[in-house]
Amino acid sequence: MSLVKPAMRGLLGKRLRFHLPIAFALSLVAAAGFKYGVTEPRKQAYAEFYRNYDAAKEFNNMREAGIFESVRPSGE
Amino acid sequence: MAHPSQLGFQDAASPVMEELLHFHDHALMIVFLISTLVLYIIVAMVSTKLTNKYILDSQEIEIIWTVLPAVILILIALPSLRILYLMDEINDPHLTIKAMGHQWYWSYEYTDYEDLGFDSYMIPTQDLAPGQFRLLEADHRMVVPVESPIRILISAEDVLHSWAVPALGIKMDAVPGRLNQTAFITSRPGVFYGQCSEICGANHSFMPIVVEAVPLEHFESWSSLMLEDASL
Repeated sequence: MSLVKPAMRGLLGKRLRFHLPIAFALSLVAAAGFKYGVTEPRKQAYAEFYRNYDAAKEFNNMREAGIFESVRPSGE
Repeated sequence: MAHPSQLGFQDAASPVMEELLHFHDHALMIVFLISTLVLYIIVAMVSTKLTNKYILDSQEIEIIWTVLPAVILILIALPSLRILYLMDEINDPHLTIKAMGHQWYWSYEYTDYEDLGFDSYMIPTQDLAPGQFRLLEADHRMVVPVESPIRILISAEDVLHSWAVPALGIKMDAVPGRLNQTAFITSRPGVFYGQCSEICGANHSFMPIVVEAVPLEHFESWSSLMLEDASL
């Protein structure tokens, strides 16, 4: 009876051809996850914050809270 | 200011700092990309029963792992250079302030119109009012008009110091005998804290910087008041 000769060459190459595409795909997923989970929300948060930002109103709120030293609350 | 268990940057209070934030996110995304790739490869290389894994010859993979890092470096360099040139733009400042580092306090000079100068010492912990921040508060704050381009000239009178305000994205060395120039615009009113960022002796950790951004009319009232106080 004859046995099938097992593969004795190219084993590392075969392993790499299997794992490297998965490695690249996972790293792209990680990058995309960070981009759409952190980067884009942060950009949106800043855009949203400044879209309707009323500097005068915020300044007055901070002034009344007594945060500034150059400008005291209007009661003082 | 920073808050406990903070991991990232402070909220940006100037357009330059916003750009730096977004660039950092971009660079960190690339770092995660490379780290995931390398970690996966390490685990794959370590978790194999193959013994003959150190002799490998492949032109294709050599080309890939030369070209790909070069492309990644270009993807990092282009936004980086963009911000670098953005920070250097001539922006026609409305006001020039000189910040001088001393052991161990800062002094500020507003000499565009009148001769206004004052020292800014840290408020000792035992003298803090309730709600004030330990090691961050100063007795006299550097007041600036909000949303106005400001030029700041930084130097030192004795040893090296560094004038840094993270929320504004500024850090500039204060070198004796040298005038370093930088510029900033505050996007919103508020109070922004920083600390000396170059070792300068025993009280290096105790010479904070406080920038207060207020509307122009209040800045003008404040500077008139400071000039009156100085003349008394």
